[in-house]
Amino acid sequence: MTTLLWTIFHVLVFPGLLFCVVVGLLLAGLDRKLVARMQNRVGPPLLQPWYDFLKCCGKETIIPRHARRGLFLAAPVLGFAALITAALFIPVFSYSVYSTSADLVVILYLLTVVGVSMIVGAAASGSPFAGVGLSREMVAMISYELPFVLVMLAVGRMAGVGTPLGVTFSLQAIVDWQAANGNLLFHWSMIPAALAMLFVIPCEIGMHPFDIAEAETEICEGTLAEYSGPPAGLFRLTHCVKMYVMCALFCVLFLGGISTGYAALDALVMVVLSVVLTFVTMSVPHAVCARFKVEQVFKFYWTVVAGLALISLILVWLGL
Amino acid sequence: MFQRMIDKSMAKSPWIFHINAGSCNGCDIELVSVLTPRYDAERLGFRLTGTPRQADIVVVSGPVTSQTKDRLVRTLAQVPEPRVVVSLGSCPRSGNVFKGSYCVDGPLEKYTHVDVSVGGCTPKPEAIMAALAKASEILAEKRKEMRQA
Ligand code: SF4
Repeated sequence: MTTLLWTIFHVLVFPGLLFCVVVGLLLAGLDRKLVARMQNRVGPPLLQPWYDFLKCCGKETIIPRHARRGLFLAAPVLGFAALITAALFIPVFSYSVYSTSADLVVILYLLTVVGVSMIVGAAASGSPFAGVGLSREMVAMISYELPFVLVMLAVGRMAGVGTPLGVTFSLQAIVDWQAANGNLLFHWSMIPAALAMLFVIPCEIGMHPFDIAEAETEICEGTLAEYSGPPAGLFRLTHCVKMYVMCALFCVLFLGGISTGYAALDALVMVVLSVVLTFVTMSVPHAVCARFKVEQVFKFYWTVVAGLALISLILVWLGL
Repeated sequence: MFQRMIDKSMAKSPWIFHINAGSCNGCDIELVSVLTPRYDAERLGFRLTGTPRQADIVVVSGPVTSQTKDRLVRTLAQVPEPRVVVSLGSCPRSGNVFKGSYCVDGPLEKYTHVDVSVGGCTPKPEAIMAALAKASEILAEKRKEMRQA
């Protein structure tokens, strides 16, 4: 009975639904505020993403005549559910709920499901703008997925040297290794991988300089072109929660060893670190850069970012 | 309670979609200037959206030419309820200097209900801001009416 209650608590409150949504909305609001301040504006209130989501819930849902009704409505729910599931596998430092031998692989696939649900929704809406958007989303996915996997391999190898396989994909093992041997961010051979991961974060989320799939000025919001009302709100919410999930993943992969031992305090540290990461990886590029072209994103990720990750991987494999 | 929260956030997050119905581009530039750091409409929650499906406030500028008429009507039909239509500048009101031209099919009132109308050629950014603030109030009222109906 108590285990059942704990499971419900984990899924719905911490580190699941409620925690993710609250922190995600907070990060998104902070990001908009920070960008506004950097552009010398007052900026929207901190709760703006929350208002946006609620407003979307109050609007009419229009289903276009050419859309596949079921898929069109199921896609946002599927994406959101996959993202919350992925969040369950990310330990808040030492506080881990579901730890398996290969959570990193599970998270990788679940994050892909989030992207794919966007593509499916766009394809089901039957709009040409969404068609262009989904092809661009695919390019973005191909771009960031390669460096992302390389980073994970490097981290897994570093933390799993002593294990029989020589490589580990368990986040719990990675966190434990860092608690014993110091954070991965401060091992010189891992610094290129950390840099690569910092570049992966905004592209995975689809933040401004890399938001080629949702370019509202060129292709009418791209993948979201036909969505209105609550489903559109859910896609926006997924976007906000993804900001937290990616930041948390970075914290666990590279700063996993700074656990305080208390779950509440750990959660607080996680939120603070996520705010810092949001500032560095999302707000600053957003305020500074104009949107990249599709091929520029692809080229940048497969040369510079993948190169950085590869350097780390080779160094780690050589035992440095 | 949830419904009440939605009512409250309606006026706080109005997204704007802009339709150019044959305008001379003066009003369009002035609308964009409202979003610049000097006037910063985003502090009131305004955001320029790229698709009519996610719009709450539709801003129409230009005298409604015969070329844009059908597109205007079709685009307005794609905006989900509740929605507010704002006419920007003197053109959609009266036709302005283009009045009487063979290719002008205005005014805008012929095709849709106009909630807020800003005069001027072009209107000042302050006037546009005031009109948008008014429009977001009307949006919240419409939402309440829609819920009670
Ligand atoms: S009102 Fe004046 S500035 Fe605006 S579109 Fe008409 S002619 Fe141009």
